[in-house]
Amino acid sequence: MEKLFPKLRFLIIDDFESFRSSLRLMLSSFGVQHIDTASTPEEAMEKCRFNFYDIILCDFNLGLGKNGQQILEALKISKRVKQAQLFIMITAETAKDVVLGAREYQPDAYIAKPITRQVLEKRLSHLIKQQQHLKPINREIDLENYAKAISLCHQQIELKNKYQSWCYQTLGSLYLKLGDAVNAKKTYETILNNRELPWALLGLGQSLLLNQEYSNAARVFENSLKLNSNLLEAYDGLAECYLKLNQPKRAQDILQQAVSISPRLIPRQEKLGTISQKNQDIETAVQAFREVIRYGEHSIHEKPANYLNLGRCLAEWSEDDLSPEGKSRAEEAINVLETSIQKFPLNEDACLSATLIEARVFNGQRMLPEADKKLHFAESTIEEDELSAEVGLEFARTLFALKQPERAEKLLINLAGKYANDALVISRIESLLDEPESLTARKQAKELNKQGIKLFEQNQLDAAIESIESALTFTPKHAALNLNLIQVLLKHYEASPNKATLIKAQLCLKKIEHIPQQHHQYKRMKFLAKTIQKLLNPSTAKAGIRP
Amino acid sequence: MNQIDHINSEQDQLTDAVQPDFSLIIASAVHDMKNSLSMLLHSVDQMCEELPEEWKQKNNTTTVKYEAERVNAYLIQLLGLYRLQNKMLSLHIDECFVSDLLDEQVAHYEPMLLDKNISLSIEVDEDLAWYFDREIILGVLNNALNNASRYTRSKIEICAGIKDDFLVIEIHDDGQGYPALLLESAPGEILNNINFQTGSTSLGIYFAEMVTRLHVQSNKKGSIKLSNGGKFGGGVFSIYLP
Repeated sequence: MEKLFPKLRFLIIDDFESFRSSLRLMLSSFGVQHIDTASTPEEAMEKCRFNFYDIILCDFNLGLGKNGQQILEALKISKRVKQAQLFIMITAETAKDVVLGAREYQPDAYIAKPITRQVLEKRLSHLIKQQQHLKPINREIDLENYAKAISLCHQQIELKNKYQSWCYQTLGSLYLKLGDAVNAKKTYETILNNRELPWALLGLGQSLLLNQEYSNAARVFENSLKLNSNLLEAYDGLAECYLKLNQPKRAQDILQQAVSISPRLIPRQEKLGTISQKNQDIETAVQAFREVIRYGEHSIHEKPANYLNLGRCLAEWSEDDLSPEGKSRAEEAINVLETSIQKFPLNEDACLSATLIEARVFNGQRMLPEADKKLHFAESTIEEDELSAEVGLEFARTLFALKQPERAEKLLINLAGKYANDALVISRIESLLDEPESLTARKQAKELNKQGIKLFEQNQLDAAIESIESALTFTPKHAALNLNLIQVLLKHYEASPNKATLIKAQLCLKKIEHIPQQHHQYKRMKFLAKTIQKLLNPSTAKAGIRP
Repeated sequence: MNQIDHINSEQDQLTDAVQPDFSLIIASAVHDMKNSLSMLLHSVDQMCEELPEEWKQKNNTTTVKYEAERVNAYLIQLLGLYRLQNKMLSLHIDECFVSDLLDEQVAHYEPMLLDKNISLSIEVDEDLAWYFDREIILGVLNNALNNASRYTRSKIEICAGIKDDFLVIEIHDDGQGYPALLLESAPGEILNNINFQTGSTSLGIYFAEMVTRLHVQSNKKGSIKLSNGGKFGGGVFSIYLP
C-alpha cells in the first residue's frame, strides 16, 4: 500500500492553519512527498493553474461565505481539474447543502470530520486504487475521445467486477454528452431493470428529453423526484420539459422548488429569473436575480448581466410607483446599476445599458431632469451604426419610456434589418414594438384580451370588441391585439355589414403597419389588410383578378 | 370578523419570524463541535509526537480517542434523529463497496482495540457492492462497534454478505450478549422495548432501527436484529439492507 502514495501530488485547501498542518503531517506519514497547501479559494485557483495535482483535499467550509463547492465548480468549468484527478471534499456533517448541486460538479468522495490518520489512509488508498483501475477510461474522457471511452467502458463491464455500476453510469453520461439519446436510454434502462435508482431515472429522463419526448421525460423526472426529492437536476429537466410543452408557469414553479432546496446554483437562479420575468412575475424574478448577485459574487459567474437583469426588473417594478416601497426599489435599482458600472468600467456595452436603465428608473419616479441627464449621457457615447442588439434594445426601451416612441420605432426597425437572421433578437424586437408599456399596463391588456377572445368564441361580438378596445388603451400598438380586433370587427361586418366597422378596422391596421417584415404577425397583418381592402373596394379587388 | 382574521395572521407571521429553525441550530452546533473534536484529536496526536520514546510505547491516548469517538457518534445520531422526527432526513442511496467501508471502520477502531487487547477481523468478499446511504450506515456501524468494544471480552468479527436479496452485516463479539428484554422483540418491534434511561446503547439501537427502516427497495424494508450466540457465543448485531 505504501507504494501508492509517494508519487502522488497533493493539494490541501483549508482556511485553518492547524488543519492544514495536521493533514500535511498525516499525508507525509503515508509517504507522500509532494504536498502544497492553499488557504483561500484564490490561492487554490492559482496553484491549480500552474501545477497538476493528483488529489485535492478541500474543506467545505472555508469561512467568509466561501465554500469548497464553489472552488470545485470553478475548477471544473475552467477545466483545471480533470476526470483523472481526485477531488475530495472534507465536511463536518453530511449537510444537505453540501451534497447537493449538479452531479457534474460533485466531488469524487466525501470524508467526514473528525479525520483520523488511519481512516484517511484507508479511504485514500481505496480511492486511489479505484482511480488507477479506471484511469484508461478517465484519460480518454479528459481527451474528449468519447467513442474510445465508451468502448473501454463496454470492455470493463464485460469483466463483471465491482466497477460495473460506475461504468454504466459513465456510459450513460457519455452517450448523453454525444447526443446519442437511443443508447443513453438503453443504458439507463439496463440499470433500472436491476434497481430503481434516482440517478438512473434522472439519466433516463435526460435521454427522453434529448429525444424530444417531453411528456414521457416529465413523467420519468417526476418519478426520480419521488425517490429523491433533492435531485436538483431532475427539477432542471422537468422545468425544461414544461418550457417545451409551453407551460412556462409550471416551469417556473418547478425551478422555484429547486431553488428553495439549494439556492446556490447560479445558472438555475438565472433561469428562474428570466422565466419569471417573462411570466410577468416580477417579484420572483427580482428575488432570483438578487440571489444571482449574492451567490455569484467572487465566483466565475460574476458578470455585468447579473446586475443589469436585477436593475431592469427593479426599474419595471418601481415604475410609476411613488410609494415608499416603490421608492426604495428604485433606489436599489440605481445602487445595483452603479455597482455594475464600478465593477466593469471597461465593458462599454454594459455601462451603456446600465445608464439607459437608470434613465428609466428616474423617469418611473417622475425625476425627469435626472432621467434626461442619463439619456443624454448615454446618447453622447452611442454610435447608432455600431449599436449591438443588446444595447439597441435597451436604448429603444428607454426611448419608449421617455416618450420618444417614433425614435424608438425607427431604431428597432433598423435593428431588425441588421439582425434579420437572428431569430432571438427579432422576437425581442417584436415584443418591444408590441408592448413598450409598463408592466401593469401589459398585465391588464393581457387579461382584457383573454376576455375578448372568450367573448368572441361565444359569439358575443359587441362585448368582445369592447373588451379588446379597452385592452388597446393600455398597449395601443400591440400587433396581435390590433389584429385580434380587426378579426372580430370583420366577423361583425359579416353579420351586419356597416362601413363604419370596416373603417374602424382600417384604423387598427394603420397603427401596426410599421411592423417589420421579420415580425411573426407580418403575414397575418398583410392577409387581413387585403381582406379589408377587398371589402372596402370590391371592384378594384375584382379588377385585380382579371387577366 | 375580517379585522380579527387580519390581526391573527399578522401574529402568525411575527412568531414565524422570531422562531429560528432548530434544525439549523443543531446542524451548525454539530458542525462546530465536530471541528472542535478534530482539533482536540489533532492536538492529542501532536502532543504524543513530543512525548519521550518510552512513553510513546504505552499509548495513553486511547481513552481520549475512544471518548471523542463516542461524542462524535452521539452528535451524528442526535442530528439524524432530530431530522428524522421533523421529516427532514433524506437518504442519499448509492452504490458502496462494502469491503472498503468495513476496512475503513476497522482501521479506525483497531488502534483503540489493540490497547484493550481485543482483536478485530472482517470477513467479506472484496467485490461486494450494495446500495445504501454511506454516511448513515457508517453511523450505525460506528455505534455498533463502539458498543461491541465496550462489552466484548477478547474479539470482534464483522461479516457481510448477501442473503435473500438483503445485504447482511453482522458484528459478533464474545461478551455476555444482549439483555433478554431487547432480544425478545420481534423484528421491527425493538423500539417498544427501548428504555432511554439506560443510556447510549438504547439511543444507538433506536437510531439504527429508524435509519435502516428508511432503506426501502421494491416493498422490502431495512431493519436491525439483536441476538445472542453467533460465532463466539456473545452478542450479534445484524443490519439488513434490501
